[in-house]
Amino acid sequence: MDDPIADLLLLTAAQDRAAFKKLYTESASKLMGVLLRILGNRAEAEDALQEVFTRVWLKAGRYDATKGRGMTWMIALTRNLAIDRLRQRSDHVSDDDAMAAAADPTPRAETRMIASGEARRINDCFATLEPDRANALRGAYLTGLSYNDLADRHGVPLNTMRTWLRRSLLKLKECMAS
Amino acid sequence: MTETAFSPGEEDDLLAGEYVSGLLALQDRVAVETRARNDQVFAARITDWENRLSDLNDDYAPVSAPNLMPLIEARLFPTAPRRSLLGNLWGWGVAASAAVAVVAYLALTPAAPSFTATLANDTGTLRYEAVITQDRLTITRVLGAAADAAHSHELWIIAGDNPPVSLGVIPGDAETISLPGVTEGAILAITVEQPGGSPTGQPTTAPVAVGKLIAA
Repeated sequence: MDDPIADLLLLTAAQDRAAFKKLYTESASKLMGVLLRILGNRAEAEDALQEVFTRVWLKAGRYDATKGRGMTWMIALTRNLAIDRLRQRSDHVSDDDAMAAAADPTPRAETRMIASGEARRINDCFATLEPDRANALRGAYLTGLSYNDLADRHGVPLNTMRTWLRRSLLKLKECMAS
Repeated sequence: MTETAFSPGEEDDLLAGEYVSGLLALQDRVAVETRARNDQVFAARITDWENRLSDLNDDYAPVSAPNLMPLIEARLFPTAPRRSLLGNLWGWGVAASAAVAVVAYLALTPAAPSFTATLANDTGTLRYEAVITQDRLTITRVLGAAADAAHSHELWIIAGDNPPVSLGVIPGDAETISLPGVTEGAILAITVEQPGGSPTGQPTTAPVAVGKLIAA
């Protein structure tokens, strides 16, 4: 399948600096969207974006195009960095920031209209989950809410939330495989 | 609500799913990341979940980003030519008994202002950046790979003509070490040692990266 980001990652792994620059041009705004959604703060998101691309340069050799699309790998790296940062500061995050970051975990209108069969399938599979659990799982994925955050928000014990979402993950996996 | 018992494989798969979903607390995330580095089956479970959930990424709206590439390049590719410290430096290791004196010397030196060092090899494939603020040294690998699973990168400091003193191994991409005080011109070096560090207290191999401390 045509995957220009994957091509640029492979060139970057071969120390091609021009490809690395092009990779930035092609992906920075998407990754900035990820960082801003999770970190909720422009200055921190910009700082994190520099670290993301530092890691991309250092780790591009670990990208395996047979195992997934280039942008999926870039976003996974970006989300992991952003969630780690979020957890590190979670002791002193303001409630306002947490609320802003957690705002509206339901799918955006554009997403709902995406014609891609893949995206339709994940949305269909989310629709098989109980709505509050589906929302909790989306909130975790998109904004980095932890089990603790979600248990507080839904007013249930941590273990209950954990049991709900582990079951939801299993259900989602079965649905995606069918 | 009680939880059904899962097989170890199912438990691993759920843990990978919880990690990718972003649900885990920091210590659990670190444990997952550490395991994934050494366990390919587990790492593949994580990749599967990343692919499985990747269509949720459509929900991230692009936000225009400033051109940070010059800053990123300055971090990764400093342009100042670096004089080779490898080789001409590596005549150390004779007077091991003086190591104690170096420790005493370091302990007695008053808290320094701030120093930085860039530890690099000659081919530009490995680089660490070290920053010393008061009594703390932070070292970060900014280019190249960590030691393989069968080895450790060990950090050394050399003051003047004294033999190297170990500052410990660097377990991941970065490490912060408490350091009682250093002087400008001291040398930092990285060697590849057995896991956990050199058994002799002195380097057993030539350094793979070397840099001099300069006042920040």
